[in-house]
Amino acid sequence: MNDEKLENSIMGKIKSGKVKLKSKYVFLAEKLGLGTAFALSMLLSILFFNLIFFYLKETDNLKYLSFGKFGIFAFLESFPYLLVVVFIILIVLSGYLLTRSDVSYKKPFGYLAIGMVLLIMIFGGVLTYTNLGQSFEKQARIGNESARIFFKPLTDIRNNGMAGVVFEKGEDYLILQTPQGLRRLETKSVENMPTVEKGQFIITVGQGGQFNFKATKVRLTNKEDIPSIDRGINFKFGKFDEKNPNIPPELLQFSEEEKSCIKQCFELKNGPSCFKECHK
Amino acid sequence: MDQLTDEQIVGAILNGDKDLYREIIKRYEKKLSHYLLKFLSDRDDMEDILQVVFIKVYKNLYGFDVGKKFSSWIYRIAHNEAVNYLKKRKSGRISLDDVEYKLIDEKADIRRAADKMFLKEDVEKVLNEMDIKYKEPLVLFYFENMSYDEISDILRMPKNTVGTLIMRGKNSIRSKLEEINKKHER
Repeated sequence: MNDEKLENSIMGKIKSGKVKLKSKYVFLAEKLGLGTAFALSMLLSILFFNLIFFYLKETDNLKYLSFGKFGIFAFLESFPYLLVVVFIILIVLSGYLLTRSDVSYKKPFGYLAIGMVLLIMIFGGVLTYTNLGQSFEKQARIGNESARIFFKPLTDIRNNGMAGVVFEKGEDYLILQTPQGLRRLETKSVENMPTVEKGQFIITVGQGGQFNFKATKVRLTNKEDIPSIDRGINFKFGKFDEKNPNIPPELLQFSEEEKSCIKQCFELKNGPSCFKECHK
Repeated sequence: MDQLTDEQIVGAILNGDKDLYREIIKRYEKKLSHYLLKFLSDRDDMEDILQVVFIKVYKNLYGFDVGKKFSSWIYRIAHNEAVNYLKKRKSGRISLDDVEYKLIDEKADIRRAADKMFLKEDVEKVLNEMDIKYKEPLVLFYFENMSYDEISDILRMPKNTVGTLIMRGKNSIRSKLEEINKKHER
């Protein structure tokens, strides 16, 4: 195609209306959309950074690492994977949107990315002075699905480690108040078992389900070190009160007959009176 | 007409004078064909892409930031089209004319590496094998006579990065020519 041919071909298309100028509003909308998406992804990145920071600081997750190799599974089990994955996706998305925006025009991406991450960390850090994390945690505990899904490792029953308040102390066992409810803990295999008192906060690693957790290590701790667990227990049981009556041990160790009776109560949804009947 | 800048012409087109787009085509047709031919082997393909470039430019005229240089913007669109083409097909072959060969010979100082006279085909071969990351700034700098600033506008990268890529590209040409030279000597 010679020069004139190309020129005429293009001009012909323009004049005939086959090729039209895109409306300026399309570009305006594109710019606005890009700006809004970037702002939104940055805000969400800040929120998620704050939630991860809050989770690691206030829950028992990092405390399990102090048990060394014994605490690894408990740490992995209680790690907030979804929060971290979503945060990484948001960071990548923010970076991508940044490269598409005019702000990044001819500027080195490395510096911009560092600036962006710093901004997220600073604002996310500042947010820890608000009670945003606690509100989110509360929503997760009361069963708000969108909050619970991110805090699942905190609200669900754990099988490799737990933290809670000693509710009852017996020979080779402890009953703990945890945010997930009462849990029975076998302490037979614990070497160097510390002296624990009722009302004391402990953190433990081991293995097992809700009623047959076999502890391998137990350590005393303070509620200030795991404020989220403290709040979880208060949410579940109310404030710990020394005057609370002990739970009769027989309530925790049901016979097979009682178990099937309780199961029936659940299925028939007959309420507390039915459970009482089972126990007679 | 010649006294009008590209940006002024674009302003007039956006105000309704569509005919003025002919002037834009006249001004850039040769330059862009020359540029595109450095990446595309087939002349027919190049012409098709050139047409696509001019149509895209026209359609997106409202997207042009009048505060920036029009030439960089149109080269940017041509660059994107060339890259898209190269993604779909095998890399194009660079063919240097005598003036261009002289240009790269002098500017890139390729003979300093070894006091030998290289064949034009050797330089073409090295350029063809080069990563597009280095090839693009080299082509824009040496064959399109663009400044670092313009290249940084077109490739959307900082000026320092343009400088680094050109320097690395140049060094890569030198070292590859040295290898070829050694082979010739054996």
